Amino acid sequence: MNANQFKAKNAEKWQRYDASMQSLEKGKADYQTDVAEIPKMVRERCVELAMARHRMYGETMCEYLNQQVIRGHKMVARSSSSFLETMVHFLAVGFPQAIRREWKLFVLCWVFFLIPAIGMWVSIYYDLDWVRSILGSDGMAGMDEMYGKGDDNVVENFRGEAGADFMMFSHYIHNNIGIDFQIIAGGALAGVGSLFILLMNGLGIGGSMAYVIEYGDPVKFFTFVSGHASYELTGMVVAGMAGMRIGLGILNPGRMTRSRALLESGKRGLPLIFGAFFLTFIAACVEGFWSAHDFAPNLKYGVGFAGWIAIAGYFIFAGRGQREA
Amino acid sequence: MGNRSEIKKIDTLQSVELGDGVEILLRVAGPFVRSMALIIDYLIIIGILIVLGIVTSFIGFGTNDNIANGIMMISLFLLSWGYFAFFEGGKRSATPGKRSMGIRVIDRSGNAATRGQVFVRNILRYVDMLPGIPTGAAGFFIGGYGVGLTTCLLSKKFQRVGDLVANTVVVYNKPVDHLTASIPPAFKKVAPPVALTREEQAAIVAFRDRAGLWSEARRVELADHALAVTNAQGQLGKTRLLGMAHWLTEGK
Repeated sequence: MNANQFKAKNAEKWQRYDASMQSLEKGKADYQTDVAEIPKMVRERCVELAMARHRMYGETMCEYLNQQVIRGHKMVARSSSSFLETMVHFLAVGFPQAIRREWKLFVLCWVFFLIPAIGMWVSIYYDLDWVRSILGSDGMAGMDEMYGKGDDNVVENFRGEAGADFMMFSHYIHNNIGIDFQIIAGGALAGVGSLFILLMNGLGIGGSMAYVIEYGDPVKFFTFVSGHASYELTGMVVAGMAGMRIGLGILNPGRMTRSRALLESGKRGLPLIFGAFFLTFIAACVEGFWSAHDFAPNLKYGVGFAGWIAIAGYFIFAGRGQREA
Repeated sequence: MGNRSEIKKIDTLQSVELGDGVEILLRVAGPFVRSMALIIDYLIIIGILIVLGIVTSFIGFGTNDNIANGIMMISLFLLSWGYFAFFEGGKRSATPGKRSMGIRVIDRSGNAATRGQVFVRNILRYVDMLPGIPTGAAGFFIGGYGVGLTTCLLSKKFQRVGDLVANTVVVYNKPVDHLTASIPPAFKKVAPPVALTREEQAAIVAFRDRAGLWSEARRVELADHALAVTNAQGQLGKTRLLGMAHWLTEGK
């Protein structure tokens, strides 16, 4: 059988296949398309492609059939799980399991954040220059304005304006989740980027805290930050874990090739990326709509403490004994 | 085609074996077409931002600036981190820019990329953008893509860092058309004097299929390379070669 005979023999089938594919690609199967027939049709094209190649029916026909197989494969090999179901399973099981699996990185990233933060705090009792050099004069003036000694509460007054909560919520989404994603991406630079951003955040946050404790009004500061600190800091640390997971794929591929290790680490890091996004999103909601309101300080501290307990309980107990996602 | 390994060396074809046991060839898209797609996407994003800026400034007149600023910042976030992931994770696996250039993102196995993979490759876009990321003041990220270009050129399948981690490749949606133009068939079929290998047969048929693209002098020049089978130079050799192609495809 030569190429033309082969083509003539199959022309009708190919036409029907083309029509079915077109209606499927448009997203609506018409009444003529029997969906159960599709896999069979695709497999027929596979056989024909192999045959056309073996019999050397020419580049044009091989290319045509190649394209038809790709087209059909795209339709047949489609994932059909529902987005919502995946999300719920991820939050209930996948994410806390991923944190437990990577507990070493969890500790490492907390250390890289906490040591510089505590260091800054301690340093202010010996020498203000450390904090001064981190915050800069603008930063210090900003902290004075927001959390300085004095009766008017700038943060709460500003939030009295219409729409201010929403604006700050947007700001936190844009800024904080953006930082998380930068931390994750920084992991691709052999992990150095992630650790660097974590370290700088530790210095900045530790320095600000120390400065307010010593020279400002700590109650104003802590009533504001207590509500969202748990979610935000944990979110940042989880982003650091995701970055380090990717970085370790480059640094420590184990028995795999580096590119293979990078792929595996990408897969293992994915739940951490979504998790960081989730936690920081909660933090932005709390920070935007709760933290700046003038509830009693004890209530705010209580909510902040409850946040830490909730995260700890979630990471330790959620999803135990469940099948992995 | 037996000379698959040679095809790999000189072409951007990536062969993938499907579960159905057949190999398909995917044509991997290179840095040039991808940067064109990227420029289109950035123009679209900037257009959206300009329109949003105008609309929100009207909202700002009505109330105070807070709502307007808030909408603007959320949009900046969504556009800088979500635009690519949203479209590439969708049904067409391509941003509008990629669609217009006829390319799309897929898993390296030839399957559609999952949302997770698309998410990873677009978060790591931030690294591929290095050097030259404008800071928060500009709000929106456009980088020099030096890292992306370098890894693209170093990896076999034009993968940037994001692609390497997410296990994705960018391929052409439609194959590049092979220009073929046969010339009228030879008057008589000529049986080859010796048994030809499959590759040799394919080459002779390909010569016939593409002969219409060349001048007569070029055809003769190329046919002269097949002196060993045609046993004749010049016009006669060319005619014999076409006769053999005819014999090979139409049978004795």
